[in-house]
Amino acid sequence: MLRISKRAIATMALAVPLAFGIAWSANAAEKFKLGMAVGGNTCCDWMKSQGDVARALAEKNGWDYIELSNNNDPAVALKNAKIFAQEGVNAMIQFNGQPASNPAISQAMTAAKVPVVTYDIADPGMYFVGIDNLAAGIAGGEQLGKVIKEKWACNPDLVVSAEGAAAGIVNEWRTGGMRTGLKKICPDIPAEKWVSFESQGDAAVGLPAARDLLAANPDAKKMAVVGLNDGGVLSLINAAEQLGRADEVIGWGQDGAFITGDNVNPHLAGSVFYFLEGYAVYAIRDVIAPIAAGQIPPLKAAADNPASRVEPCPVSAEQAKAVPVMAERVAKLLAAPAGTTAYSLFCPNK
Amino acid sequence: MTDATVPRSAPAPAPYIVPHHPVRELLTGPVASIAFTVIAVVAVGLIWVGPRFLSFGNLGIMGAFLIVPLVVGACAGFALLSGVVDLSIGSMVGFSSALFALLLTLNWDPWSAGAVTLLACLAFGAINAIAIVGFGAEAIAATLGMLVALRGITWVLLGPQGAIFSFNPGLSDLVNQTLFGLPLFFLVAIVLTVIAAVVVTKTRFGRHVQAVGGDDRAATRAGIPVRKIRVAALLLASLGAGIGGIVFTAQLGSAARATGFGLEFQVYAALMIGGYSILRGGVGNPVGGALGLLAVAGVSNILDLKAISPYYVNIIVGLLLLAAVLLDRMRGGDAYE
Repeated sequence: MLRISKRAIATMALAVPLAFGIAWSANAAEKFKLGMAVGGNTCCDWMKSQGDVARALAEKNGWDYIELSNNNDPAVALKNAKIFAQEGVNAMIQFNGQPASNPAISQAMTAAKVPVVTYDIADPGMYFVGIDNLAAGIAGGEQLGKVIKEKWACNPDLVVSAEGAAAGIVNEWRTGGMRTGLKKICPDIPAEKWVSFESQGDAAVGLPAARDLLAANPDAKKMAVVGLNDGGVLSLINAAEQLGRADEVIGWGQDGAFITGDNVNPHLAGSVFYFLEGYAVYAIRDVIAPIAAGQIPPLKAAADNPASRVEPCPVSAEQAKAVPVMAERVAKLLAAPAGTTAYSLFCPNK
Repeated sequence: MTDATVPRSAPAPAPYIVPHHPVRELLTGPVASIAFTVIAVVAVGLIWVGPRFLSFGNLGIMGAFLIVPLVVGACAGFALLSGVVDLSIGSMVGFSSALFALLLTLNWDPWSAGAVTLLACLAFGAINAIAIVGFGAEAIAATLGMLVALRGITWVLLGPQGAIFSFNPGLSDLVNQTLFGLPLFFLVAIVLTVIAAVVVTKTRFGRHVQAVGGDDRAATRAGIPVRKIRVAALLLASLGAGIGGIVFTAQLGSAARATGFGLEFQVYAALMIGGYSILRGGVGNPVGGALGLLAVAGVSNILDLKAISPYYVNIIVGLLLLAAVLLDRMRGGDAYE
């Protein structure tokens, strides 16, 4: 009868996994490898879609692709960058909604000699790919100003800013830009009518602060809302609906995340599409593909001098009905010829 | 007169002494199930990922990420053992990180900034202790209030930008130092965990903590200073969170609103997987808690290295938690302890 000693079992228990591992390592081929760190905030579909598009484009280019989620957590974002470096990626793309960890990520990736593309929130050590936030803010503000001028003769009770301070200068450009744009059309709105609250750029998270603002302004009826993004603007609109005060609220968002599909809030008069899901087209076309071809582009890290600029697309809610929902946009974008941007495919106001 | 006679009492049975059996204790002891889970995770990692799973580079990444949860978990474990759950530890980490970063930007030297930060955290820990021990407040309610309050204070400290950038190359180099290929601070955190385990299992203080958590009335009757023990445990929990926040700032070069957010759930889930109980004190061992953190980090790392959707991590952590609860019941739960 076959007898297997405990020592033999223990040896096999260690040897089999090691043999599998060594075999796996031997099969690993040397290809250009792209790492993608998605934002990982459960608020927004586009964060996942950014990864889906990057993955599909990487596969089209014949590259290896690794995707990790930052879980909207700065420590996880740093850990992910180190994993990318360890896994030998040749370049990395990230959307880091918690940019406080960017200096440490930049240091780690510089040491590992891995170029990093960052979306929408600039860092001195990373290629910046993103929207012209100030231009997008001003464009949205002007559009809202036209609506306010037509409906209320530029005389709202309040102009509410849904801030997202964590985004830093991006918030100042977008939200501040919207105020600037609105003032261009309606320059005489008195200073005391301009109020702000911290929405954190999230419809659910910003709801309590929005309710507080409405409670502090019980007589305000005609309210214009601007903000960092659609989610932030919606937090005020949703709070007004909860309190039965949404009849005369008009919001204009940024990023276009909640302006398509069947359930668009009727008080969201418009938004500025960035087509966030399609950023990888810009990043790969202008930064990653040249790196893969051995032609490393000069580091352009500033938001006002980006490695690749995404065009803003302001649309009214009516115009947005012609824009496909995100899943459809992703499918059409991936079916289009290489380098085609979502802006060129879907923006009704080109 | 009845003829009844008082029965003579039977001789008392000899006390049953559980035979000392090291191998059986190893297999059925409080950290056995989590130890086997970690071994299983390592085996799966080696088979599926390959030798790089146990490479120093990969272990270093996991280690660097685990420093804060290990320190926070080792210290918060004392509060759990003493029968009080401190929900404010995540917010305390965020507060500590923000205050330390703020002081650095005001040109304080890191040692002074660290000392003041830890004192501030101890002060908030003392408030927790006064509420829970002094006034008999429900621990979950009191520390939930502290969680919210500290989050607000953190936001005030961070200002409208929501972040303080305090990148200090010297501090970054210090926290990124390695020894034998692993992060020095990770090894320090492991040593701290072992010290905590020795304190829990081998010292009078540790036995008192377990006794207080197991049955505070019995502990009182036995002359154990229940109130002092719980105060000390809550202060330890806040001290650990304070250290965690400082390490976070040193690692990230900044503090942000998201720092420490949800960390209490991450740590307590791992501690429960490692054998602690949230609702009954006196149960658990710091080594088990550390192994729980290692198991979760190992699973997460395998999914990362296999480029599997990160959204599955939470499912697996949840299943591990359920398995830990099931194992706890299978081995006898309260009766076992």
